[in-house]
Amino acid sequence: MAVDVGVTDMSDSKQRSISATLAAATCALLGTTAATPVDAQEEPRWDFNTSLLYYGEDDDRVQDISFKSIIRRLYADDRTLSLGLTVDTLTGATPNGAIRQDGPQSFTRPSGSSAYTEPAGELPLDDTFKDTRVAITAGWQQPAGESGLVSAGFSASKEYDYLHLGVNASYAHDFNNRNTTLSAGFAFANDSIEPVGGAPMPFTNMLDVGDTSNRGGDEDKDVFDLVLGVSQVISKNLVVQANYSFSQSDGYLNNPYKVLSFVDEDTGDTLPNIPGPNGGPSGQFLFESRPDERTQHSLYTQAKYYMNGKVLDASYRYMTDDWEIDSHTVDIRYRIPLGETNYLEPHFRYYTQTEAEFYRLSLDSSALLPPFASSDYRLGNFDGITAGLKYGWKTRNDNDMSIRAEWYQQSGSVPTEQFIGNQASRDNYPDLNAVILQFSYRFSR
Amino acid sequence: MRSVLCSLLFVTLLLFAAAPPAAADTEFSLTDHEGKVVVLDFWASWCTPCRRSFPWLNDMHAKYQQQGLVIIGVNLDASREDASEFLEKYPARFRIHFDSDAALATEYGVDAMPSSFVIGRDGELKVTHLGFKVRQQAEYEAILIEALGEQP
Amino acid sequence: MRLRILTIGLLLVCAGCTSMGVQPWEREILAKEEMQLTTDPLEAATDDHIYFSKEASSGGRGFGGGGCGCN
Repeated sequence: MAVDVGVTDMSDSKQRSISATLAAATCALLGTTAATPVDAQEEPRWDFNTSLLYYGEDDDRVQDISFKSIIRRLYADDRTLSLGLTVDTLTGATPNGAIRQDGPQSFTRPSGSSAYTEPAGELPLDDTFKDTRVAITAGWQQPAGESGLVSAGFSASKEYDYLHLGVNASYAHDFNNRNTTLSAGFAFANDSIEPVGGAPMPFTNMLDVGDTSNRGGDEDKDVFDLVLGVSQVISKNLVVQANYSFSQSDGYLNNPYKVLSFVDEDTGDTLPNIPGPNGGPSGQFLFESRPDERTQHSLYTQAKYYMNGKVLDASYRYMTDDWEIDSHTVDIRYRIPLGETNYLEPHFRYYTQTEAEFYRLSLDSSALLPPFASSDYRLGNFDGITAGLKYGWKTRNDNDMSIRAEWYQQSGSVPTEQFIGNQASRDNYPDLNAVILQFSYRFSR
Repeated sequence: MRSVLCSLLFVTLLLFAAAPPAAADTEFSLTDHEGKVVVLDFWASWCTPCRRSFPWLNDMHAKYQQQGLVIIGVNLDASREDASEFLEKYPARFRIHFDSDAALATEYGVDAMPSSFVIGRDGELKVTHLGFKVRQQAEYEAILIEALGEQP
Repeated sequence: MRLRILTIGLLLVCAGCTSMGVQPWEREILAKEEMQLTTDPLEAATDDHIYFSKEASSGGRGFGGGGCGCN
């Protein structure tokens, strides 16, 4: 601004008369050089988004500490390069699929090199998993023509028994003065599973320590995902979106470490086994068997509604697949501003799923083996509730920070027709109670 | 001698420019700028590409004002306060017209933010630009030069 | 089958929403960071991963890098 130029000259320490100074200022105005008051470089070029997460289940189950970072480099005209890194360290135990018994039980570790025991009446947990997982993502996004946006990327992750490699691409197009956006995207992944000790033959027994005769080698699976979406501005305060997703998995879909208890047809107790001299299973446990194919369809809808500074974010997702699992997810966030820069955001999520067609609590030894069976609680019938609170603020340097604390509880049930004998009197479903704590830091340069 | 002239000019300017160059108009009429090339740039404080276009518009104003280029930044903020805050951070050398009821935007059929309408010396709409791309600055400038070169 | 009809219906309805929406200059609230469909991509990715590991459903919002041998 013209006045600014004058002010700058006024602060010049050289001895000048006022009139001369003012005159000089005016003449500078008449000149052709324009000291652009705004530097075009002012637009941020880098965006760093980092978080530290703690996830912990009770009862000595899984604990995870995770570092996650997404770095974006913004180029002129809305072109973006993003790089992501995640490092997880997992410890703790996870249910191995066997049911509780009145007496103590023992199992051979996946490696086959030692055994572990479970006290009487306890849910059998395998605590072999102390693992570090590293995941990277890279993506490029740029406008395509006046109304389009194209993006492509790849992803990879590695842990001691698993390697994931994937590519993805998507395109979005704006219509109707950017009120409507249609998008389509796909992802393709090839995952290699290298189970500790080798992949066990499905429906074979858990063997003694040192016996790996029923073990194979590595396995792999392919996953293809397709997403079609539409988002629509409804009013000045309301935007909604709907996505249809299709996912096809082919290959090794088993969990190589999970077993089912092979039980007596009357008592429902696990048939006993005498472990070998070096240790082994105290009962008959069969490795699980899942189909080598899975097709999933999901429909996801979301609305964001602004009410006088507060934002309501509500979404619903329905999923159905050919394993006969149906699920519903309702997720609600309500952001309440506190002053100019801080906010509080309560969060509530409700999830429910029905069990897979081949979900079994245990296998009846007197009956024909079904084509497939798994007692993995994640394929069972359960409800999950999450309740949490997030608090966000801006630092003095105008950077964003937030912390959130959430509590996640899963409670499931076994279909009553699956109970055999004594099983009905025990608490068979491995309910889950977890706490989630996350701290995030975001800044642009 | 030159310094006397400059001082006189400065005093004259002081008298005329009671407000900063970015003066608020309540009335707007194209006939005020007959024979000039007029760029109507529709912007709002919450629009990121608008922030990118301001330095360029200031540049064009400085370069071609003498040759008859008139840039008018038409502000579409619902709240005058938001617009004023923006202008304090990103000052404009060119004129600002406040169109908070969007009457002008509707008349011109603004389809995107920002939108630029280049009106030639003959009063006819020559070019419409939707959005602002840093990469196309040279192209935009060439259009202005061409429009300035035409006879009214 | 039901899902297919529902999805196609929803997409058609939305495609027919061509007259709905706001003028380009009325997007002040929609431009705010907290009104973006995914305001916090890091939190979204974290949640997607947690629930993918503990439940039988995944994603829905879109997709991206993932896949793990989570037990």
